[in-house]
Amino acid sequence: MMERRTRVPADPKQLAVLNLFLQDFWTAAALAPAAMQPFELALEEIFMNVVMHGSEPGRTPWVEVTLDGGAAGSVTMTVEDDGPQFDPLSLPTPDLSAGLDRRPVGGLGVFLVRQMMDAVSYQRIGTLNQLRMVKTLAG
Amino acid sequence: MNVRLERLDRATVVIPEGRLDFDAAADFQKQLEGLFSSATPTPPGAVIIDCGSLEYVSSAGLRVFLLGARAAQKAGVAFAVCSLKPAVREVFDLSGFSRVLAVHPDRATALGQGPGRT
Repeated sequence: MMERRTRVPADPKQLAVLNLFLQDFWTAAALAPAAMQPFELALEEIFMNVVMHGSEPGRTPWVEVTLDGGAAGSVTMTVEDDGPQFDPLSLPTPDLSAGLDRRPVGGLGVFLVRQMMDAVSYQRIGTLNQLRMVKTLAG
Repeated sequence: MNVRLERLDRATVVIPEGRLDFDAAADFQKQLEGLFSSATPTPPGAVIIDCGSLEYVSSAGLRVFLLGARAAQKAGVAFAVCSLKPAVREVFDLSGFSRVLAVHPDRATALGQGPGRT
């Protein structure tokens, strides 16, 4: 069992920092490199969601990422932020059948996260948004 | 992310290398738009994005593919994607982009079939 945690401001510059954090966890937990991609994607999509939609004028929320797992065959990633209340799971499913012209350019990120993870849940805890994602690794 | 361009007789092949995430998306978008700009003296007959060296794509990256395909359509230029690695292919499939864009298994097929769909 291994747990790691980091906290960064919701600033796009921090995306690279979070990605390194994930890579370090993955290496330390000796997990299969190929299994990291869904977490890499989920981390980017959820973090950028907070960056784009979670900020209020003059105030940048913080984002805390916790990675947990390894030994039990599953990894849990929890992303918390202290921005305004927002449940990304309430976003409508994008119309995947729309053609090139009518296809919306947004809304895909959270959809992809839901597809790639085994379970995704949102909770409002006091003044925090918490998104919890779990995936069992193959093998 | 590094992007290489290969200009062939009838097509321009765009080769993004590495990670197409939020950080890389804006630059990649500019490069693609440049190909279809009216300022380009000889617009290509086709633009093929060869993803053989693309390791990762997020929704921010998908958005650039979509905008590129639209710009191509507007400019009357064929637009295709080829050689997706499994991790990138999965994102294309889950998002439905494999159905909206012309996706080919390799560059030779993409060059031969032009705008055809798989």
